[in-house]
Amino acid sequence: MPKNSDKLIGKTFITRSISCFFAVLWLAFCNTPAIAHKVMIFAWVEGNTVHTESKISGGKEIRDATVFVLDGKGNRLLEGKTDNKGRFSFKTPKETDLRVVLKASMGHRAEWKIPAEDFKGVSRESERSIIQKSDTGPQSKVDTFLPSKNREGKVSKSIDAGITREEIEHLVNDALERKLAPIVDLLSESIDKRPTITEIMGGIGYIFGLVGVALYFKNRSNMSK
Amino acid sequence: MHISEGVLSPSILVAGAALTTAGVAIGLKHIDQKDIPTVGILSAAFFVASLVHVPLGPISVHLILNGLLGFILGWKAFPAILVGLTLQALLFQYGGITTLGVNTLNMALPAVTCYYFFGRVVRNNSGRLGFSIAAFACGCCAVLLSGILVALSLYLTGDAFLLAAKVAVAAHLPVMLIEGLLTAACTLFLRRVKPELLEGQYAQKL
Repeated sequence: MPKNSDKLIGKTFITRSISCFFAVLWLAFCNTPAIAHKVMIFAWVEGNTVHTESKISGGKEIRDATVFVLDGKGNRLLEGKTDNKGRFSFKTPKETDLRVVLKASMGHRAEWKIPAEDFKGVSRESERSIIQKSDTGPQSKVDTFLPSKNREGKVSKSIDAGITREEIEHLVNDALERKLAPIVDLLSESIDKRPTITEIMGGIGYIFGLVGVALYFKNRSNMSK
Repeated sequence: MHISEGVLSPSILVAGAALTTAGVAIGLKHIDQKDIPTVGILSAAFFVASLVHVPLGPISVHLILNGLLGFILGWKAFPAILVGLTLQALLFQYGGITTLGVNTLNMALPAVTCYYFFGRVVRNNSGRLGFSIAAFACGCCAVLLSGILVALSLYLTGDAFLLAAKVAVAAHLPVMLIEGLLTAACTLFLRRVKPELLEGQYAQKL
C-alpha cells in the first residue's frame, strides 16, 4: 500500500512542520526583551545643551556610532560619536529646527527632530532678563519677581541680597530639569516600540492569506485548462 | 542586515529594485501549484526568524534563514523573501519601503547562489554526510554573502568597503554557525520524511 504510507508520511510531515514552526515562534517570543535590528535616537534640550540617546530596539545602547546634527535645510552643523552609554551631548549650534541623525553600522539609521520652539523658550527668557537688568541698573536686583519683598521687608532683604532674577531662573530651570529627568527617561523608553504579538501574528496571517489567494488563482487557471 | 531608509543613494535603490523585480519574476515562473504552500510556510518562517535574536558581542543580530530558503526553494526564495521583508518593514519597521529592493536582493541573491553551489549534492544523490555538509555550507555561506552584499551596497554609497564588510561579517559569525546547523537539521529532517519536497525542486530543469 504505497499510497497509504505516502499519506501517513505526509501527515507526519505536516504535523512536524507545524510543530517546528511553533518552536521557532516560541523562540521568537522567548527573546522578546532583546529583540533587535531597529535603531533609534532620542534627543532633548537642557538649557543650551542638546542630549541624545541612541539604542537598539530592546534597550541596548549603541556605542561608537556616529551622530550627525543637521539644520532644517539639511546643512551639516556638527557630528560626534556616542559614548559607552549610547549618549552624545552637544552645545546648541543654532536655534533653528534641528535634525539629529544616527548612523550605526550595517546601514542602520535613525532620526529625531528638535523643533526650534524647544530652544526659544530658554533663550527668550534669558534675553528678557538681560534687558531688564540693563534697564534697572546694577543696584536694584529683583523687583516684581518677588512680591514677598514688599510685604515683609526683613525677609525680602535677605533674599534680595544674593539672588538676581537670572539666578532664580537658572535655579528653577535646574530644578525642573532634575524633576523632569525621569519623565524624559520614560519618554525615551516608550519610543522603543517592539513588535507585538498582534503584529507578528498579523504578518503570519498575511502570508497564509497570500498562499490562499495564490492557490485560488492557480486552481482557477488549472480548471479553465 | 536590513538597510534603513535614507542610507543608500537613489541610483543603488533603483538598481536593487530592478534586479529584485527580475529575480521575483523568475521565481514566480518556477512556482507550481504544489509549491505554493511550501513557499508560504518558508516565507512565514523567514518573517518570524528576524525576531530570533542572537545576543553576542556589542552588536545584536538576528537569524535570517535565507540559506534554508535558498536550499529548498531555489529561485522561489525571491518572492518568499520579498513578502517576508515587506511585512517586516510594514509591521516591525525593520529596513524600509524604499530599500525593499536592495534588501531583498541582498538576502535572496545569496540564497539562489548557494542553491546552485550546494544543491548539486542533492541532485547527485550523495550520502547523508555529504548532504549535511552541503546544507550546513548553504546556510553558512548565504549569511556570509549577504553580509558582503550589504557592505557592497554601503560601499557604493560611499562607506569604506573593508570596514563595513568586516563589521557585517564579524557580527554575523555566530549567526552563520547557527544558520548552518539549522539548515542542516531542517533539510535532513525533510529528506527523511518528505524527500520529494527536495527532489521535486532539484529535478527541475535549470
